[in-house]
Amino acid sequence: MQALRTFILLQSKKRLRAIFVIFLILLAMVVGKLFHVQIIKHELLKERAEANWDREIPFGGVRGEILDRNGDLLVGNQLAPTLYFMPSQNREITSTAKAVAEVLGTDAAKLEEKMSKKAIMNKLAPEGMNITKEQADEIARLQIDGLYTGVDFIRSYPKGELLSRLLGFTGYDGNGLAGIEYAYDEILSGTGDKIRLYTDAKGIPLPHVDDGFTTGKKGASVELTIDSRMQEVLERELLQAMEKYDSAQALGIIMNPKTGELLSLASVPTYHPAEYQKVDQSIYNRNLPVWMTFEPGSTFKIVTLAAGLEEKVIDLHHEHFFDPGYVMVEGARLRCWSRGGHGDQTFLEVVENSCNPGFVEIGQRLGGKKLDQYIRAFGFGQSTGSGIAGEANGILFSEKAFGPVEQATTAFGQGISVTPIQQVQAVAAAINGGYLYRPYIVKEILDDKGETLQAFEPEMQRQVISEETSKQVREALESVVANGSGRNAFTDGLRVGGKTGTAQKVVDGNYKDGDYIVSFIGFAPADDPELLVYVAVDSPKNASQFGGVIAAPIVGRVIEEIAPLAGITPRREGQLEKEYRWGDTLTHRVPDLTGMTRKSVRGQLYTYQIEWHGSGEKVKYQLPAADTLIGVDDVIHVYTE
Amino acid sequence: MRSLEDKLKTMFIVSAVALSLIGLAFVHSAGSYWGAVHYADSIPFIVKQGIYTAVSIGIALVIMKSPLTSYPKTWTVFYFAMILLLVAVLIPGIGVVRNGSQSWIALGPFSLQPAEFVKVALIGKLACSMDKTGKKKVFHWQHFGLILLPAALIMLQPDLGSAVIMIISAFVILFIAGYPLKFFTFLGVGGIAAFIALIAAAPYRLDRIKSYIDPWNDPLGTGFQGIQSLFAIAPGGLFGHGYGNSRQKYLYLPEPQNDFIFSIIAEETGFIGATFVLLLFVVLLVATFGIAIRTKRRHELLMVAGMGSMIIFQTFLNMGVVSGLLPVTGVTLPFISYGGSSLMTTWLAAGTIMHFASRRSSIG
Repeated sequence: MQALRTFILLQSKKRLRAIFVIFLILLAMVVGKLFHVQIIKHELLKERAEANWDREIPFGGVRGEILDRNGDLLVGNQLAPTLYFMPSQNREITSTAKAVAEVLGTDAAKLEEKMSKKAIMNKLAPEGMNITKEQADEIARLQIDGLYTGVDFIRSYPKGELLSRLLGFTGYDGNGLAGIEYAYDEILSGTGDKIRLYTDAKGIPLPHVDDGFTTGKKGASVELTIDSRMQEVLERELLQAMEKYDSAQALGIIMNPKTGELLSLASVPTYHPAEYQKVDQSIYNRNLPVWMTFEPGSTFKIVTLAAGLEEKVIDLHHEHFFDPGYVMVEGARLRCWSRGGHGDQTFLEVVENSCNPGFVEIGQRLGGKKLDQYIRAFGFGQSTGSGIAGEANGILFSEKAFGPVEQATTAFGQGISVTPIQQVQAVAAAINGGYLYRPYIVKEILDDKGETLQAFEPEMQRQVISEETSKQVREALESVVANGSGRNAFTDGLRVGGKTGTAQKVVDGNYKDGDYIVSFIGFAPADDPELLVYVAVDSPKNASQFGGVIAAPIVGRVIEEIAPLAGITPRREGQLEKEYRWGDTLTHRVPDLTGMTRKSVRGQLYTYQIEWHGSGEKVKYQLPAADTLIGVDDVIHVYTE
Repeated sequence: MRSLEDKLKTMFIVSAVALSLIGLAFVHSAGSYWGAVHYADSIPFIVKQGIYTAVSIGIALVIMKSPLTSYPKTWTVFYFAMILLLVAVLIPGIGVVRNGSQSWIALGPFSLQPAEFVKVALIGKLACSMDKTGKKKVFHWQHFGLILLPAALIMLQPDLGSAVIMIISAFVILFIAGYPLKFFTFLGVGGIAAFIALIAAAPYRLDRIKSYIDPWNDPLGTGFQGIQSLFAIAPGGLFGHGYGNSRQKYLYLPEPQNDFIFSIIAEETGFIGATFVLLLFVVLLVATFGIAIRTKRRHELLMVAGMGSMIIFQTFLNMGVVSGLLPVTGVTLPFISYGGSSLMTTWLAAGTIMHFASRRSSIG
């Protein structure tokens, strides 16, 4: 019995040792795991833990400004007292929301929803953003736990609605949602000040630990190539035209043809960026000069003309063309806009008259392949790469579909679809010596101290036609304004050249009767263009729907008004004088009367209407000044000593 | 000259007292913020834990000295008393539900967790029932009845952690007592089946397993506790942030004075401190098994080894969860975690071990 007991005890002791070893192994595994976590994965897990502890309260960063080329402020910032709420510090959210909503005059339920979001701190926007001083004072009097009035910034627009469809706007969190604000959001965004809190897991500050503070950085400012003074002129003219012709919308572009800088980019109707919610997204999301695509109509003939001259298939002055009013292409009868036809013309007159059969002739002489090459070389069929949000590509005929009829209509600007900015880019190349420049809108990016971070230079992409051809194009287009379809754009002393455009609108693949986009593209001075202005009016009513009637005078007036801003002084040397046509106001130039006596004036200048001021003998000054073009019935005022 | 037995006993007492003192220090460090936030009006954890420690050590000394500890009848009475409490805790009105388990009986400002005490009661009762005769054949159905009755009652609460510790400790006794090896093979297969059945019965257990495999999958849900524990111990590094400088105790880690107290120890004292605490448990293990192997009667050996296994296995389970080695199971760290029932149970076991360490070969 004793032996058995001893045996059993011995066996038990053996098994006891086994258990002992197993336990040692298990505890060793724990040490191994601790080593793995605390030593090997120390850094990785420490980073994650720190992210878990991070309790940073960000305050709104100051966003960079948007300036025009002269440094004038287009979009700035203004202080906006804004309410913040820390849910962990106040459990009575429902009653608090009610009290705050009462002061702000907003919906309590919505406010409660915002206040009870599970976060360290909730910004009560937009309801509690940009509140008035009275509201802030009243809320301060309520002494609500966890409710703070912080400082935030909202956008200010010193020029109101000007340029709004390019500039875009920001949402209440300060992010750019459209336009330049959207496209350059990363650059404009500032980093706000931050308070780093040392708190427990629920956001309660820990005792005896100081909070950290990081100062933010203002966002970079964007300086545009836009000249806001020119923009004002252009937008005013477009708005007037829209009203006068009861049109749906209108657009305009002003560009420096020598560099591709966009001096103005206008779409009307406009809206106020601070109140973007009040207008349809089709207004704030569509920057018409880059977004809209339509059949260009006759303005496109400039491309055909430039190609024809470069390839020397026509002679403007010595070669004649007969227009019977139509042209037959593969059995299709393509009509000239002038029913009776223009009859016998030189090719210069073909251009002046914007004669469709004449341009079909140029296109046919070039051949489809050459024509297509030039069209693409002038930048059509693809986005210009201007970097403006929402730019379209336009549509050209594919090589396969580019048959004789398509070639013929393309030659006078029908059957294809292009954007206004493509037309401006192409015409700039046609008149500036043949150099295709990429249009651009941002001139410089400046840091918060006004130092240049990045400057944008003109980008010449390629030479499309020769200097000589370009000169001929300029001359031809100057005579379009002096003698042809663009006469309404004539501005004395500025040597305006240009081309009209009238295109029937295409709706759902079909031409829409009586609905046109009328346009004019003009430039000045014709011998050395500094300004290129494009205007298009969509669906004008109450007038004959021709570009020459509606758009040309707008471009003329715009050029006249902005010329001094571009440093262009009127001069008449080499100017093609406007040809008189029946119905035009008869004009003559004012003679220089200063220094002349009453007697000699009366004797020599009987044809002028002169009003005398003063009783002296000699003319001291006169109004208008000498050489001004005035109507024959206009009065010249002379002042004597 | 002091005998080896004396040395083992001293080793055991020193390590157990050292662990209790460390426990007091860290219940204070880990629990003061949690207590101030959640139990602002009641007595601070450290004061309560101080009382529990004093009372527990007092009871342990009584058990050590008292001859009653050697009487099988004492354990039978204790065992059945605890079974009654396990039944009582399931009765609504007597038992209190906390964190989804009906495991507590409220006694004024204190509360009692019968599942803790029943572990010691079962070990004592089971060990005694093994020494009826010197028969070679040890297998007896009665043993399973003794184990399964409290196990089933505990799973009704449910309290998986306590049940696992109790069952493992009981099987250690069966193993050492000489149950055939094929029985344990059979048990292993049955255990896996039971494991699957348990997971199927309560979907939250499956979530725990999933979060154990990939805690980052649902860091705010099922993986939350495991991740928060890692966020405590990993930044601790080799040396820790220093006593009192835990970051995670500020409500990031739930109940930091309790099941996750070892996270705070590892955070504040680093790998070195955590390993030191673990080594104290190894000393305890060596002392206990040294004491066990020197006992002269089988039921004494079994009781000492069973009690020691309970403490060490629970330690392993707790530290395994804290370090991410094991899926999250709510068990306390013996001697160290806050809680009267847990601490008293540990000291009951310690007192029993000390009792048999003191009995100088009276029976030869």
